[in-house]
Amino acid sequence: MFNTASNYYWKVTGVAVALASLAAWSGTSQGQTLTGQASAVTAVVLGNVTSLADSGTLVDPSEPVGTGTGTASIPGLLSAEGLNAVTMGWTDQVASEASLGNLSMTVGGIGISATQVVSRALAVSGAGGSGLTNIDGLIIGGVPVSLSGAPNQTVSVLGLSVILNEQIQSASGIVVNALHVRTLDGATDVVVGSAKAGI
Amino acid sequence: MRRTIYMLVAAPLVLAGVLAAGSANAHFVPAPCDFITGGGWVIGDTGNFVNFGAHGGCKHGEFWGHVNVLDHAYNPPAHLRSTNITGYLMDPAFPNARDICGEGVVDGGAGSFPVRFRVRMEDNGEPGGLDKFGLRLDNGYDLSTRELGPPGQTGGGGNIQLHKENPSTTGPNPAPTEADMCGTLPTP
Repeated sequence: MFNTASNYYWKVTGVAVALASLAAWSGTSQGQTLTGQASAVTAVVLGNVTSLADSGTLVDPSEPVGTGTGTASIPGLLSAEGLNAVTMGWTDQVASEASLGNLSMTVGGIGISATQVVSRALAVSGAGGSGLTNIDGLIIGGVPVSLSGAPNQTVSVLGLSVILNEQIQSASGIVVNALHVRTLDGATDVVVGSAKAGI
Repeated sequence: MRRTIYMLVAAPLVLAGVLAAGSANAHFVPAPCDFITGGGWVIGDTGNFVNFGAHGGCKHGEFWGHVNVLDHAYNPPAHLRSTNITGYLMDPAFPNARDICGEGVVDGGAGSFPVRFRVRMEDNGEPGGLDKFGLRLDNGYDLSTRELGPPGQTGGGGNIQLHKENPSTTGPNPAPTEADMCGTLPTP
């Protein structure tokens, strides 16, 4: 009797432990959908999409993905150097980062340059997303522009929509675009330093 | 007397051995492994810009990452691009810093040639001005580790982030020695 009860106890305990482990496992890795991606530049010109230094998509915590290149350009639009894009996942968070230096571009006839651009996105399970942008030496149309630190800072430029430290929140995370420039006619749309993180 | 001479000879040898062992073990692969990422620029020793973008860590039992550095002291700029990451190390004396070692190619005004490199990246908080970057190559090039700034003394800009450890990613097992990872290159 004692042995039978003991066996029953251990069977029940074993099943409970297995179910708990399964629940815990599914709750941290299988149950969580990780989204992460970073790109130094993504430009849409008359419907043609060009990305420079795109990390690719994060699919698993054991698969951080990233890329980098020394110099890159989109003829007639922009050039940059030291491009870097990376996204990493954990069981409870995702972090993505994009950066580049010596940015020089012309959008809608307006010259835009920056010494350094960095964007970073972090999504933590149950805590939403947060973002960070660094832009050094930003000059738009010959005028130095300082980053206020506030998300979604707009800059008035004739014929352009310019947003600095653009942060787009969603239920699962955040997209941070360090510098987003569009022509008002929609012909050109350039995102410099884009980092996405969601969980 | 003989014993005294022996002690006089042996003691420095033992001390040297301890110091050497301490030096050899000063840097090691963090376990569990973590990641360091960043981009920025510093001012070189001749007042030139040095731009960088880099990330490193571990993945699938190997070291992982990319390193790109452009030194504008040369025309066109000398560009180091990594082709193989051979090490990712931490130094207990600088817990916010990581070293990335590897093989790469330098192109540009300095010519085109293969190198071994060692990068130091250090995260000292936001917004990044106190973060540090340095680079050493096996051809003698040495960009000593310096602040990105401002407010750092050396000027520059950008941001470096040391991310938390990730048990899901693993480095080589057993972990290689510092010499295996970085050759004879010391921290820049």
